[in-house]
Amino acid sequence: MMQVFLQNWIYLIGAISLFGIGLYITLTDENIFKIIVGLNIIESGTNLFMIAIAWHPKAVMPIYTATNHLVVNGKVVSADPLPQSLVLTAIVIGLGTTALALTIAVKIFEKYGTLDVRKIKEAKR
Amino acid sequence: MRNDTPELVKKITALFVVAILLAGFFVAFKEMPKGPSVNVNQRVSRLYVLKNVQTATKLMKSGNFFTKGMKPLRSDVPYTPIVFGKSSNLEDGAANVVTSIVVDYRGFDTLGEVTVLFLAATGVAMLLFGKEKKRKKKTEPSLIMYVGTRIAFAVIFLFGIYIFVHGHLTPGGGFPGGAVIASGILGLFLGKNGYEPNHLGLKVFESLSGMAFVIIGLTGLFSVKSFLANFLPTGTIGDLYSAGFIALIYIAIGMKVGAELSAVVNSMIVDTEEEWS
Repeated sequence: MMQVFLQNWIYLIGAISLFGIGLYITLTDENIFKIIVGLNIIESGTNLFMIAIAWHPKAVMPIYTATNHLVVNGKVVSADPLPQSLVLTAIVIGLGTTALALTIAVKIFEKYGTLDVRKIKEAKR
Repeated sequence: MRNDTPELVKKITALFVVAILLAGFFVAFKEMPKGPSVNVNQRVSRLYVLKNVQTATKLMKSGNFFTKGMKPLRSDVPYTPIVFGKSSNLEDGAANVVTSIVVDYRGFDTLGEVTVLFLAATGVAMLLFGKEKKRKKKTEPSLIMYVGTRIAFAVIFLFGIYIFVHGHLTPGGGFPGGAVIASGILGLFLGKNGYEPNHLGLKVFESLSGMAFVIIGLTGLFSVKSFLANFLPTGTIGDLYSAGFIALIYIAIGMKVGAELSAVVNSMIVDTEEEWS
């Protein structure tokens, strides 16, 4: 039982821990740059979660090679390839959103001279 | 939450939100398959691995797909196992199953993904456009840096092209290959003070490769009567010239992503003022 727990659940627990850490940072931090870092940590946690539910300890990679057999005795032994392709999409979109968010942070710094959310709120008044 | 709320109350509230989320996750985990019991054989993804989705479509149309206990493939359906280097004329000849899902079975999804990346690059260029370029480095990069980055750029460029040409055989593909090429161009920026790429060339390159993706899709529409359908012979699994149009689409995606990320790097580096750091 302990072995099974360590084999697969450790990844799931790591994934939600990353999600929780990222959510805490985005909720409590005042610096816009750190909020963007928190969003990226949330994204990493989500990707790890999706990879972990598609994997089991005896899985092989979903690529046909000369020595890597995906189907043994009529049963598929590879990891689930569908969540992996979804994560491939999610990584690229995360890169795009991060670049755009950093650009908006640059414009905010140009206008207010600070990245602190509270000081920006005071400067608005 | 007001501005004058104590710091401690805010942090405790945030921790409470996170705790609710974690509790929800654990409730969901109790319903999930655990440990070695994650079974691909009971999922639809199995059909992607077997490269036999047409049979599944027939089963779904006749209503035999989702039987009691959910058996994706019936035992009476003939299935020939795939052998690397021997099986030919498969439904999708890519050795990398993830690639065959991303480009072939779910190709329309990838077209949307490329569009999102294009929108992000356009937004970055638009927000940082039209500022005077203050790029005064205090020290000029040395001659060794200048020559070394140029030599490294040639090798990195070749490696990126290798990655996206072999996308259907090895891990990798158009998106990592394009990112590798953009990192080589970042080296060029570091090597010379005031380096500027050919902006018009980048834009034309990006637009042409984006159009190539759509034109390949339209060719499938007119020859096989489905958008982004595979219209080339799939060949033997494991060969470089196999998997039909997957290599063509990944070349287009790799060039597009490389040009877009280079444009993002350009607008982010050139417009940065030195006094900020």
